[in-house]
Amino acid sequence: MSGHGVPRVSAADDTRDAQKEQKKIEEYRTIVDLVNAKIAEREYTLEVLSLTEKVLKKNPEYYTVWNYRRLILQFHIETALTNNHDASISQDQPSDGRSPAQDTIHNLLTWDLSFIIPLLMQFPKCYWIWKYRLWLLSRATDLLPASWPKSLWNKELELVSKMLARDERNFHGWGYRRTIIASLEKIAQEGGDGESNMVEQEFEYTTRMIKSNLSNFSAWHNRSKLIPRLLDERGANNEDRRDMLDSEFSLIQEAMTDPDNQSVFFYHQFLMSTLSPTNPRHAAIALDLTNTDRVAIYEREIENIKELLEDFDDCKLIYQILLQYTKEYLDFEAGNKTVTTAEMREWLAQLRKLDFLRNGRWNDVERDLGL
Amino acid sequence: MSKPTPAESCSPPSQPAQALPDELHLLVEQHVQYVRSLDTRKDEYEYWLTEHLRLNGLYWGLTAVHLLGQPDALPRREVIDFVFSCVHENGGFGAAPGHDTHMLYTVSAVQIIATLDAFDELEERVDGGRKTVGKFIASLQERDTGTFAGDEWGETDTRFLYGALNALSLLHLLHLVDMDKAVEHIQACENFDGGYGTGPGAESHAGQVFTCLAALSIAGRLDLVDRDRLGGWLSDRQLPNGGLNGRPEKKEDVCYSWWVGSSLAMIDRLHWIDSNKLAKFILQSQDPDRGGITDRPGDMVDVYHTVFGLAGLSLIKHPGLMEVDPV
Ligand SMILES: [Zn+2]
Repeated sequence: MSGHGVPRVSAADDTRDAQKEQKKIEEYRTIVDLVNAKIAEREYTLEVLSLTEKVLKKNPEYYTVWNYRRLILQFHIETALTNNHDASISQDQPSDGRSPAQDTIHNLLTWDLSFIIPLLMQFPKCYWIWKYRLWLLSRATDLLPASWPKSLWNKELELVSKMLARDERNFHGWGYRRTIIASLEKIAQEGGDGESNMVEQEFEYTTRMIKSNLSNFSAWHNRSKLIPRLLDERGANNEDRRDMLDSEFSLIQEAMTDPDNQSVFFYHQFLMSTLSPTNPRHAAIALDLTNTDRVAIYEREIENIKELLEDFDDCKLIYQILLQYTKEYLDFEAGNKTVTTAEMREWLAQLRKLDFLRNGRWNDVERDLGL
Repeated sequence: MSKPTPAESCSPPSQPAQALPDELHLLVEQHVQYVRSLDTRKDEYEYWLTEHLRLNGLYWGLTAVHLLGQPDALPRREVIDFVFSCVHENGGFGAAPGHDTHMLYTVSAVQIIATLDAFDELEERVDGGRKTVGKFIASLQERDTGTFAGDEWGETDTRFLYGALNALSLLHLLHLVDMDKAVEHIQACENFDGGYGTGPGAESHAGQVFTCLAALSIAGRLDLVDRDRLGGWLSDRQLPNGGLNGRPEKKEDVCYSWWVGSSLAMIDRLHWIDSNKLAKFILQSQDPDRGGITDRPGDMVDVYHTVFGLAGLSLIKHPGLMEVDPV
C-alpha cells in the first residue's frame, strides 16, 4: 500500500519544481502509452519485454504491466513448444533428454527470475513482484524436467533466506518460504529427487533464527506451526511427544528472562494452548495428557511466571498472562492449590493501574473470574 | 512530568509525550476539500504512479465524503461513468481504463455501485449486468480449497475471499459460491492466538483478521470465533499513544483503527480498547493545512488513511460522522 511512512512536506516548503515534475510525468506517460499500444497490437517481442522493464522500474505496482510480461513470455514459450514439435518430427531429440524448446523456456524463465531480483530487493513489500516470481516458477515446474525447477526452487530458498535475514518480519517472505518448501516437497513426492519432507530442516531453520535473535516473532510463529507436523512425520510415539513438550518448555524457560520480549511470551502461550483437551491434532504436541498432567503443568508454569514478578513487578504482560492461565487452570477443576483469590485480585488491580487503556477488558476478566 | 503508563513495553518510554493542541477537532471541510482535489492533481507525478489504485481510491474517497455527511461532494454521474469505463467483457473491473481485471477493483466497483445505488445503470451498461459481474467473482474461487484468487494468474489470499463474499452479498448472488468450503478455509487460517493470516500457516495479522471475521459474518458463522482469545489479541494492538498496530512489535498506524476497531466491534469487544485515546491519535494524524489523514502524525496524507481514519472515528461514535457498518 502506498503512503506508509512518507514524511509530510508543508505546502509552504513544497519546493517541487513544476517543470521537472512535468518532464517526469511526460517521460513516464510516453513509455506507458507505448507499452500499452504494443500490447494492444499483440506485439509480443523481446523488445516490448524490455520496454515493460522500464515501466516496472519506475512503478512496480503497475500490475497490468506484470501481466504483459506474462503474455509475452507465454507467447515465446508456446512458440518454442510448437517449433520443437515441428522439429521433432524430422529429427531426433538431443541425447541428454532436454529438448531445444525446454532449453529456450529455461533460459527465458531464469533470465526473468534474475531480472526481478534487484526490484524485489528495492520493493520487498510489493505484492505483485512476489506473485510474478511465483508464476515464473510454476511455469518452470509445469514445463521442465524436475531437476531444473528443483534447482530453481532451491535458489529461491537461498534468496528468501537472504530477504528474511534483512527483514525477519516480512510476512510476504515467510509465506513465500512456505510455498517454496511445499513445491520442493511436491517435486520430490512426484518422483524427482530431493527431500519429500523438509519439515525437520525448516524446524532447524527456526531454531537458528531464534538463537540469533530471541525476539524473532515470526520464527517463533513458524515453529509453533511446524511442531505438530514434525511429530507426525517422525511417527513420534506418546513418549517422544511428551519429551518434545518438555524440551520446548525448557527452551522457553531459559529465554523468559526479559518480559520486554513479547515473542518469548507468545511462544509460551502457544505451548500452553497445546494442552487443551479440545485441540485438534494439528494444534497439539502431547496426545495422551491426563487432567492430572495438565494441572501439574499449569501449576509449574504459573509458579515460574509468578517468580518473574520478583524482578519485574511493573510488567503488565506478566499479570495478564497469570490471569489468563489461572482462568484456564480453574477450568480444569484443579482444586486450585496454586492461586488464591487475593492474588488474582492483586494482579487485576495491578493491571488496572499499569494498563488502563484496556480497562474494559479487565472489567470483563473480573466478571468472568468472579472476583 | 508524571511517568506515562507503559502498556506494551515494560520500560518507561524515553521520549516525553508530545505537547497537544488544547482541542483536537475533526476538520470536516478540509477533508472534503482534500477528497475533491484528488482528481485534479494531474500535474503531480504521484498521480500517475498511483493509477493502479484509481478505482479503490475512488471508493475510499466516496466513502470518506459519505462519512463526513456530504455524499454529493463527488459528482455522481462522473463517478459512475468512471466506474463503467473500467469494466471488461468478462464482468471484471480493472483499476483504471485499460488496466486488467482483478478481484480488488471488481469489489471496489461493486461497492461504489452499491453506495450510489447504481444497480439500474449496471444492468444498462454491462452486458448481463449483475449476473456477469457475479460470475466473474465466483469463477475465482478454488474448488478444492474454497479460497479465492485475485485474478486468472492465481495466488490466493483471504483478502480476496472476503472481497468476493462482500461483493456477492451486495449483488445478492452469494449462492454462486461454495460457502461451506470458504468457511472451512478461513478456519484453516486460524492461529492459536485467535487471529488469522493470509493463508494456512501464516502469522496473525490485523488486516487478515478483519477479512476473515467479515467473511465469517457474511457467512453467518461468527459462532466459530474464540471471541475472548481474539479480542485479547486485538486489544493488545493498542499502543500507549492510543494508535493501533497490525501485529505485535510493530508501529502504530491509522489504517488499523479500522481493521482492528471493526474486528473488535464484530465480536462485541470494542470496549476492550480506549476509544478516547484512539480518537486523539487519529485526530493528531490530520493535515490541518491541506486536509486528509496520514498513517501517523507528521507523515504525508493519502486517501486510504483518510477513509480508514474517518471510519475508525465513526466506529467509536466520534461526533460529526455518519455511522459505519463494521462489515
Ligand atoms: Zn496504514
